[in-house]
Amino acid sequence: MKHHLEEHEMTAAVAGLELDAAAEKHLGSCLSCRQRVSAMRDLIDARRQDLEADAPDWERQRQEVLLRLPSVPAAQSARRHFWTRPLLAVAAVLVAAIGLRALWMPAPPVDLAVDSELPVEQILAEVDAVLADDSIPGLELIDPGLEDGVNGNGTS
Amino acid sequence: MDPSRSDLSQADDALVLRAQNGDHDAFGELVNRHQRRVWMVCRQYVGVGEADAAAQDSLVKAFTRIRDFDRRAAFSTWLTRIAINTCLDELRRRRREAAVDDDRDGDEEAGLLERMPDGGAGPEARSMQKQAVASLATAEERLPPRQREIFRLRFYAEMELEEIATALEVHVGTVKTQLHRAVHRLREELGDYR
Repeated sequence: MKHHLEEHEMTAAVAGLELDAAAEKHLGSCLSCRQRVSAMRDLIDARRQDLEADAPDWERQRQEVLLRLPSVPAAQSARRHFWTRPLLAVAAVLVAAIGLRALWMPAPPVDLAVDSELPVEQILAEVDAVLADDSIPGLELIDPGLEDGVNGNGTS
Repeated sequence: MDPSRSDLSQADDALVLRAQNGDHDAFGELVNRHQRRVWMVCRQYVGVGEADAAAQDSLVKAFTRIRDFDRRAAFSTWLTRIAINTCLDELRRRRREAAVDDDRDGDEEAGLLERMPDGGAGPEARSMQKQAVASLATAEERLPPRQREIFRLRFYAEMELEEIATALEVHVGTVKTQLHRAVHRLREELGDYR
């Protein structure tokens, strides 16, 4: 048979916290321990009643609240879902990294051979040469009668 | 949560849904159900003089923001959180204005002796109980703020441990630990009365 409750068990019993099985069993069978628990509980209850003695008239209080209510509640505030926070953090880090890279990385060397424009004369000469060539690859595949056929009946 | 609380919470949900659509009668019923707790919470944070106003402010705020209630916690817990925040805002305002009346708490607790309801016990027993209640009130004031807050939410606002944890945004284990320490300390302080 367990002896009377230890102080920590008595405290737990008063606070309404869980007790181990042996303490619970003892409390169920020991009048002395139950009285000690209930004495403290009664005191707390008396204090609560004392506090409630200052309570307002509940119906009046309720009516005053209702008079102060806006006609409709405010619209639901925009709220982010919890999972957007890590995504936003990752996005912010990426943007910052790209920005820092742009600021701190030296610009790649310019290849003048690649970037320089071809002379206009050279381009025109190449175009002329292509137009002068009758055997343009691909043109020979077109059926000479095809255009007539299409224009004639609207179908191919 | 025991079955009765669960039923209450489910009934709250239906009322909340109506209130979210602007139904004042539904919100009035929610006020009816929860205003006592809201007042007790406000009572402990801002004192009896401001408790009525703070409780009203909390309830009006709750209606205004009710469309933000997402049912992740019980309505009563969400409402308690609003009440606590309203009171903390009020205390911060008071601190800013440096208008705290240091004497009020003392007067309030002295008044406890006069306001004790008559019980069935004889005059001597009633007198002893008044003294005991006054001693408890004094001992509560000596508790660390967090322990005092949790003790009062548990016993005077009659909140479940999980509700307290949610309302204060702490782990339920913290609530248990702080509550245990608070009760232990009060029992030590009360000595003969306990």
